Amino acid sequence: MFGERGLQRLAFYLPLVFMLLFFALPMLLTVVWSFFERTQFWMEPGFTLFAYENFFTSARAENYLYSMFHSAIAVVISFAIGFPIAVFVRRRLPQTAQHQVILLFVLPFMISELVRVFALRPVLGRTGPLNTFLMEIGLIDEPISVLLFTPTGVVIGDVLSFLPFMVFSGFLAMEAVQRYIFEVCDDLGAGRLHTFVDVIVPLAAPGIFAGSVFIFVNSLGVALVPTVLGGPGAVNAGLIVNQAIVALDFPLAMAVSAIMMATLILLLYVGHRLFDLTKIIRPIS
Amino acid sequence: MRDDFTSDLTHRLKWLYLLGVVAMLLSPVFYVIAISFNEHGFGARIYEFTFAWYRVVAGDTILLQSLEWTAYLALVTVAIAVPMGVLAAKFYRRSRRKVPFLMLMLTPLFVPADIMGSALLVYFKNLAQICEWLGDELGLTFLYGWFELGFTTAVIGLVIYTLPYVFIVILITMSRYREQQTEAARNCGATAWQAFWHVEFPQIRPGVLSACAFTTILTFNETVRTALLKGGFDTFSNVLTSQMLNIGMSGESYAMAGMMSMVSMIVIGGVLIYSLAAAERRERQARARAEPQMSA
Repeated sequence: MFGERGLQRLAFYLPLVFMLLFFALPMLLTVVWSFFERTQFWMEPGFTLFAYENFFTSARAENYLYSMFHSAIAVVISFAIGFPIAVFVRRRLPQTAQHQVILLFVLPFMISELVRVFALRPVLGRTGPLNTFLMEIGLIDEPISVLLFTPTGVVIGDVLSFLPFMVFSGFLAMEAVQRYIFEVCDDLGAGRLHTFVDVIVPLAAPGIFAGSVFIFVNSLGVALVPTVLGGPGAVNAGLIVNQAIVALDFPLAMAVSAIMMATLILLLYVGHRLFDLTKIIRPIS
Repeated sequence: MRDDFTSDLTHRLKWLYLLGVVAMLLSPVFYVIAISFNEHGFGARIYEFTFAWYRVVAGDTILLQSLEWTAYLALVTVAIAVPMGVLAAKFYRRSRRKVPFLMLMLTPLFVPADIMGSALLVYFKNLAQICEWLGDELGLTFLYGWFELGFTTAVIGLVIYTLPYVFIVILITMSRYREQQTEAARNCGATAWQAFWHVEFPQIRPGVLSACAFTTILTFNETVRTALLKGGFDTFSNVLTSQMLNIGMSGESYAMAGMMSMVSMIVIGGVLIYSLAAAERRERQARARAEPQMSA
């Protein structure tokens, strides 16, 4: 049916077909399934807004908004900690050393998130090394209990889980800020804050935005962090989906997934229109 | 205004900050590893070094079985995701409409595990029902059992998860490759496969090996997608999760977490050292080529 050349050409389409069939299609279908009717153990075709009504009229919507707020805080903290590293590496280190230094952040990123998040339990606990250290140096008199099983714990977990991505995307974005730009800023007498806010951030905006979206969406959707560090009241979108699956309420799980995907697509669309996100990957393509 | 490039102290402070952040990210993991070697476990006032918890893990048949399943999953995922990543990177470089393809390949990075896992779970359950219905209606009995939750569905979930990482790593390596070399090989009579295998592949090999290592580690560490899609077997991280959530952090859990972390560190550390050595070799060769030829 196909010649050798035809088969070779078809092979190149394999990843495209695979991703369309097993990623894009299921994600799009979440919207359709969210309108299905719930049965005792499964769901049946139909059109009902019950899952959305269930979501928006219960505490779930409020929890979703709360977790959006916590995710936004995690983004701001990750930017404040991670982006200066990307700037420092691009601006101050020799070209040959830059990639090697950034690779240092691959190591924590590649260690199981499960281990990293669970490891925070003993570290942040009342008898953990952090509280012990702070008490030994006399900074506090009694252990800080707000670090674990609270929203603060969730934010700490999110930041430590996803911070490396801000460094990676910031590093890629800083490719757009050539070294001579810093020299021009210095020559023109621009202060550091001015240079950062008016020159670096606008030029590196695509990478900053991509890193922020990654951290925001994962903080919102990874159920592990609130499960382990958030205590009984902590919920995010991922946990709502998990709980709905366990309760065999598949339309509700799909409705929350659809809302989550809509949030993601909206953010990426707005980001792409504003900053052209393909600029991030241009240096390697 | 003083330029901090000339200030040694500021430069060192920035380095200290960078290393401090890396240490902050890694210290909880090192703490867990340290506890896993303590005979008295977490919270004990005395520290006595022991391998006892690791011996408990090594003697646990359920854990060893889960480790075996994880190894199979990693092997099959690498065998599918890495060639697919190479094809995707080549397709991207040739493609005229890069943006939609790029979005499709990279969006899985942004979709949290619980959301993707649950969407795939419902998708596979629906596909399994459709296959069963088709089997009944058309008498095609071989369709029975297709897309039932199990090894295949777990592999598909893992390939979707790892493919963006593989794609990026290989794309970075390919960006250093000049397509003119392939054209030259083709002009010399090589087939497309020969040009790829003998000219291009040796140059992108470090990226392919790194992609294999990353895929193995990502598969080994993945919990949520496999938990939702695996069907009737357990992976190592699934057992660890259920232990941590249901029993709490026992000495055995610390040892399992320590094992996972150390394996990741050794593999990724190996990849980093290999890629640094390769980069240095490339630089040395470039310097040697750039040196002016001395006339006799």
